[in-house]
Amino acid sequence: MLASPLMSASPRSALPAEGGRPHLVYLAIGFPPAAKSCAYRMRETANQFVEAGWDVTVVTIARESWERDSGVDPTLLEQVDPRIEVVELPLAREDLETDIRRYDEARALNPNGWVAALRRRQTKPFPEPNFGEWRGDLEQAVLGVHRQRPVDLLLASCVPYVNLAAAWKLWEEERVPYAVDFRDGWSIDVIEGIEAFGRASEEGRWEQRVLERALALWVVNDPIAEHYRTRYPDIADRVHVVRNGYDSESTPDRVRTADPGSGLVFGYLGTVNFPAQHLEAVLNAWKAAREREPLLANARFEVRGHIGSGADRGTNRHAEILRQAEADGVRFGGPAAKAEVATVYAGWDALVLILIGGRYVTSGKVYEYMATGLPIVSAHAVDHDASNVLRGHPLWTGPVGIDEDALTGSFVKAAHMAVETVAGTHAEAMAHADQFTREALMTVAVRSLVERFEADRETGADLETGEAPGPEPGEAAAPAPGAADPKPRAEKSTVAGGSAP
Amino acid sequence: MTEVLLIAAAKPQLGVLADSVRRFNSHGARVRLAGTFHLESSSEEIAALDLTELHQLPRSLTHRSQALRRKARTSTVGMRVWLQARRNPWLRSHARGADVLVALDPGAVYTVWRLSQYNRSAEALFGLTPALKAVERLGARGVAARRPVLPPLGALARDVRRSVDGLPAALLRTATARPVMRSTVGARLWRGAVTAPGLPTRVRTVTARYVAEGMQWAGRTSGAAMVLADAASRTRDPALRAQLLDEGATKELSNGVAPRHLDRALAALLSHADGEFAAGRPGTAAAALDRALVLAFHRVLHIDQLSSPLAVDAEGFVAPLHGAETMRELSRGQGRRTPPERAPGHRPLRLLVTTSANDNFLHHVLEHFGNHPDVELRYLDLAASKHLKRIAWAGRRMLEDRLSGGTSDFQEEVERLMRPYLDWADTVFLDWSVGPAPILTTIDPGTTRIVVRLHSYEAFTRWPHMTDFSRVDDLVFVAPHVRDLVTSLVPQLRGGQAPRTHILDNAMDLTAFARPKPAEARFDLGLIGVGQVAKDPRWAVDVLERVRRHDDRYRLVMVGGDMDAKTSRATREYRRAFEKEIAALSESGAVVRRGPTDDVPSELAGIGTILSSSVREGCHVGLMEGAASGAVPVVRDWPFYAGKPNGARTLYPEDWVVGSPEEAAERVLQTTATEEAWREAGKLAAEHALSVWDWSVVSRQFDKLLLEGDRDAPAQAPTEKKSAR
Repeated sequence: MLASPLMSASPRSALPAEGGRPHLVYLAIGFPPAAKSCAYRMRETANQFVEAGWDVTVVTIARESWERDSGVDPTLLEQVDPRIEVVELPLAREDLETDIRRYDEARALNPNGWVAALRRRQTKPFPEPNFGEWRGDLEQAVLGVHRQRPVDLLLASCVPYVNLAAAWKLWEEERVPYAVDFRDGWSIDVIEGIEAFGRASEEGRWEQRVLERALALWVVNDPIAEHYRTRYPDIADRVHVVRNGYDSESTPDRVRTADPGSGLVFGYLGTVNFPAQHLEAVLNAWKAAREREPLLANARFEVRGHIGSGADRGTNRHAEILRQAEADGVRFGGPAAKAEVATVYAGWDALVLILIGGRYVTSGKVYEYMATGLPIVSAHAVDHDASNVLRGHPLWTGPVGIDEDALTGSFVKAAHMAVETVAGTHAEAMAHADQFTREALMTVAVRSLVERFEADRETGADLETGEAPGPEPGEAAAPAPGAADPKPRAEKSTVAGGSAP
Repeated sequence: MTEVLLIAAAKPQLGVLADSVRRFNSHGARVRLAGTFHLESSSEEIAALDLTELHQLPRSLTHRSQALRRKARTSTVGMRVWLQARRNPWLRSHARGADVLVALDPGAVYTVWRLSQYNRSAEALFGLTPALKAVERLGARGVAARRPVLPPLGALARDVRRSVDGLPAALLRTATARPVMRSTVGARLWRGAVTAPGLPTRVRTVTARYVAEGMQWAGRTSGAAMVLADAASRTRDPALRAQLLDEGATKELSNGVAPRHLDRALAALLSHADGEFAAGRPGTAAAALDRALVLAFHRVLHIDQLSSPLAVDAEGFVAPLHGAETMRELSRGQGRRTPPERAPGHRPLRLLVTTSANDNFLHHVLEHFGNHPDVELRYLDLAASKHLKRIAWAGRRMLEDRLSGGTSDFQEEVERLMRPYLDWADTVFLDWSVGPAPILTTIDPGTTRIVVRLHSYEAFTRWPHMTDFSRVDDLVFVAPHVRDLVTSLVPQLRGGQAPRTHILDNAMDLTAFARPKPAEARFDLGLIGVGQVAKDPRWAVDVLERVRRHDDRYRLVMVGGDMDAKTSRATREYRRAFEKEIAALSESGAVVRRGPTDDVPSELAGIGTILSSSVREGCHVGLMEGAASGAVPVVRDWPFYAGKPNGARTLYPEDWVVGSPEEAAERVLQTTATEEAWREAGKLAAEHALSVWDWSVVSRQFDKLLLEGDRDAPAQAPTEKKSAR
């Protein structure tokens, strides 16, 4: 695998697409070594394309840029197929800059106001705060890759949604077909379960235009797929549910024997991206459960994962709440490298599944949690897609919402499960997850996409059916310079394991 | 040794900071913390940090020049922190010697930015994690020995340039300093300067603003407003005129006083709005109209005072508003394309109950209809969703939409977010006729019946004037006098498209209040709820003092949270006077403050007489609950409504209501003269309350409105509703 900026990418043999190994350009901002939850899905996707006989060029951003975000995990690279070429663009999120010497005086005087203005400005080239201004670089990047070695298929993984502009550009100029992996979806706010923007908005026009010609649209669960099938009936048959799944190397081979004498250990592993009140409710319930249940009197609760970004990285309100809960046996251990995930799980007796959102959020960690065979305490909305996945799991305490009293009961129940469960039940619990290995899920998804691609190529279909329903996104119907600014949108929330595995 | 200087404008997360300091130290760094926040208030936690040194930076600009303080008042937090800290020798010295300068919060960023100009080799970072990485980096490559050097010439040159650029402002602030503006001669001189003929508009405006600022600093708030009004009168630009008058009025309102030139400010804003509207600029027209409405219905005028222009002449007050073309456009009912449909007979009524955060009066309603076999209930708190919250109070966007004939993107957003709920519901019951009411009526409700409840507070806000009542089917009031007031204020409620109106009492389960009272309760006068100026507890104190002249066993028991002095200056001033008045009474035990409680029935068990001392109420829930508990009600004839066709005298039995503190004292003394008389009066009050206001009675009114009322609606054939998510 090569990691290089676009302009210095190593020269490749300009094999024609026909006859040689087909060439995929994969827009995957968050690809390893980014310590993002989406990295696992991206890694597996790229690997599966290589397995399917494709050459893969991943386009992402420079690894240093992730230092501002959720950091870098070099161990994620270990499982990346070395045949994959990676193009790293010198792009970084400007809002997360922490070097004050790079600030102009206006930013130094009012950091938050400056970032708010920046986000408005960034939506002008493409309607997405934080990322919109990357449009030109991404477009040039995919065109550059195509010039060096013709591209047969583009797969855009979102977020960021500005990837759609690059996919569209390559289609528009070179007629390279593309598919979209939305993971969570753009026009649905998966956290609140409502439409995120209207069809007439600039985002709406972009989404519609790009999806109309997409070879396939992948999303992570059925409710999101249903949203897209309803919104765009014409592409309903191209919408596929590609669940996140789990990596088998991330789960322990066997469940450790719980030892209440030395203290049960509960654990949470994942990005700490839920509201502070949510975390407080869980910790209050934990404290109450320790007071109520003798099995938990000396129990510990370990939290591992990323907290905050930019200037707040590792030091935000959540970090303080966790620090204050140390007297209750709570410990924040920081992020866990992918390579140590199985070891981390192996040291725990039960898991706490803290998730935001509801029926449109599944998360990736639910699959991994299931595969550990450990008891699972659910700390999320009752009507949550993770509940659907967990239904039937023998060591699940059940969905009780984010009610402190009910969660207290769940902790007590899980403590008993951890101590009283026999090996056979743990095995049964692990088996519940068998169907969700990431490799199995992604093999099917990639095969299906490749078949669709090949079928279309054989028939000469290019999906150019029907007249365009409106102006090009960002062009005629977009606000003219000087007209009212496009409506600023708050940054779309991402869900650890939901927007990404 | 790496030298780290942390700078904080706000109290940092001390637990996280402690961990970070340990990590800095483990990398061989020496960590110093300088803060403009109050270090002493967290001294124990801060002492536990393993810091090399701690330094309190100036927490304010007290003792600095007034020109500087005035500049700080109009500056960003970052600039204020820098102005406080920049002369501090400790800071300057340690900043020059630091290897890593760290801002712990946004307010400290500018100070670090400025300090980094003087220490070009130091890292300047925002946040602890980047700072830790820098220390690791420096530790790995080793820190070069540093010796103090003079600041770079470039930094000094930039400082000089800043000083020169700021000179006109500094000069004007010095020339309009407090001593000058406090003197009548100085103030008059400056007013004259602002109105001097021949001044270019820009100069006049800038000068007027500095003079107004100086006057405000000198305590001449109304003088400040007059200067701005003078400048406004000399400009022909309608936008600037409106802006200056608005600024003057806002200065007075923020000082808790009714603006002297409110009429002129409103006229200028409305005229500007009308001009922009006529010119086809709905955005600026909406902005001006919004300001006019905000000023006209500011809480200082109507809520934080013991009276309001609406109490004196409601129709007269709103007449100029509704005379504006933009307001006429706003008041033009858009109507609904189809009448509301009846719920299909084969399934329960789909009822959506909604509000924005305040569900105080919905608990019984939700419980009742949640268990009703003929109702499928959903509850929507608009404040619980970030998307809905963003539109629920978006008054200006709503105005722009109306003035642009529904062509703004706002309508699309409301449509997208609210339509799924309208598609599902047969009937929407919106509690509180505030922001969400105009927003909901921005779109056609389709076949859904819209019911809105207006309590009392809303009458004194701008929201009913912005609501399109032609899209509301039923408007529910909690009392006739509120209906009278609102109808007199809002032209749409008097026209052909007005909704049906109803009077429904608040939902209260009064049976829980019937508890035995001890004999000593006879001498305890109770006041439930004292958190607003309108409750006027000073009136109750007056009554107390009068009855204590006859018998010093009488006490005043106040239940509920105190007024929040931060609400407004007017509230702060009322509270200050009130506190002064009850200081001695509290000390002697004649006034007892029980504070907030979740258990009002228990508190009322010890109260013998329940007072309503308010200047206005919709229906006084605390009073009704007190009556239900068997306390003897004594109700002030609420001055806002006294003498009008409806008010306290028509809402309550005549003998409960008194016209003055004297009459109140007389009624207290009379009804509590003997234990027997007191218990008998209390029993009659409880019987009345339970027979009229208890939920067992009122729930039938709600059933009639929401279930039978549905059958009364125009006979539109029902169609199948869509399912909302």
